Amino acid sequence: MSIWLTYVGMAAVTYAARAIPLLVMRNNPPPWLALWLRYVPAAVFTALVVPALVTTSGAAGRVLSLGPAVLAGIIGALVAWRTSNAILTVVCGMVSFWVIRMVMGG
Amino acid sequence: MQAETTGRWQAMRRGFVATMIVWPGVAPFGMVYAVSALAAGLSFAETLGMSLIVFAGASQFTAVGLFAAGANPISIIAATAIINARHLLLAASTASYIRQSPGWLRAVVAFQLTDETYAVGVQQFEKTGGDAWFQFGANLSLYFIWALSTVIGSLLGALIPDPAGLGLDLIFPLTFIAFLMPMVRDRVNRSVALLAAGISVAAALWLPGSWYVLLAGLIGSAFGAWFAVLTPMQAPKEQP
Repeated sequence: MSIWLTYVGMAAVTYAARAIPLLVMRNNPPPWLALWLRYVPAAVFTALVVPALVTTSGAAGRVLSLGPAVLAGIIGALVAWRTSNAILTVVCGMVSFWVIRMVMGG
Repeated sequence: MQAETTGRWQAMRRGFVATMIVWPGVAPFGMVYAVSALAAGLSFAETLGMSLIVFAGASQFTAVGLFAAGANPISIIAATAIINARHLLLAASTASYIRQSPGWLRAVVAFQLTDETYAVGVQQFEKTGGDAWFQFGANLSLYFIWALSTVIGSLLGALIPDPAGLGLDLIFPLTFIAFLMPMVRDRVNRSVALLAAGISVAAALWLPGSWYVLLAGLIGSAFGAWFAVLTPMQAPKEQP
């Protein structure tokens, strides 16, 4: 039973983080805040991408790991830059990851 | 009234369909989550239940690890709060697009706001302006694939070779690269991305959980605003 109560607690704290800004920000944000928020997407997307490519999680926590994923990410970035096509980006990135790993004998 | 209802339905459908682009990036994580949850001793109902009730990938993985370690509920809930604090930033950013929508609708949208649906929503809103119904459709789309991949992972878990071993966990960052690159065409956004890259890697290595997303998001975007004020010629076009 306590596992379901734990879920309710987890959902409550998660919902609070998702809901409070959405419910509180009802008026026009002040110009400084609007300007700040305009650059949130680029900053957040970068933070979701780069650590995922250059680090791995292990028993000892997260460590730097420069391997095939970095090169695959660079190739994916070039494809995305030229084409703005998400499917092509993922396909080229994955294929180059597998090829690089094979060549490196991983 | 009829036209309004039709418009909402179409916006929801567009959001649902637009979010399918992130399905391949999300499904492997849902399946791996299910496998690890079952391995940690959770029942099928408990495994799917967490996906449906909590609906937050990174914190679900962490909770599974903590359940397996016999951690007490309070520490699991506290870990969840820390990991999901980054949603404050996503929600504030989303709020700047859809704040004209009714409060109940924003409260509904908040339930399923994630990294992925935030990305799909912002991309759309930068082009056409905010639309809470589009965001709701996007959220439902991700909720659906997360639940479905949890079920598939539970059923087929033993049969699938290790998805991380295949490198399928790379689909997620590659999808976000495709979102990011069109955004960094101006000098301010490029500087934001460079700074956020440095901060996020350093913070990922030295801070626990996903603080690195919140930290890099806050500092990177604040720097962007400061830089845009210094170089007004480089500021991107006004929002519609």
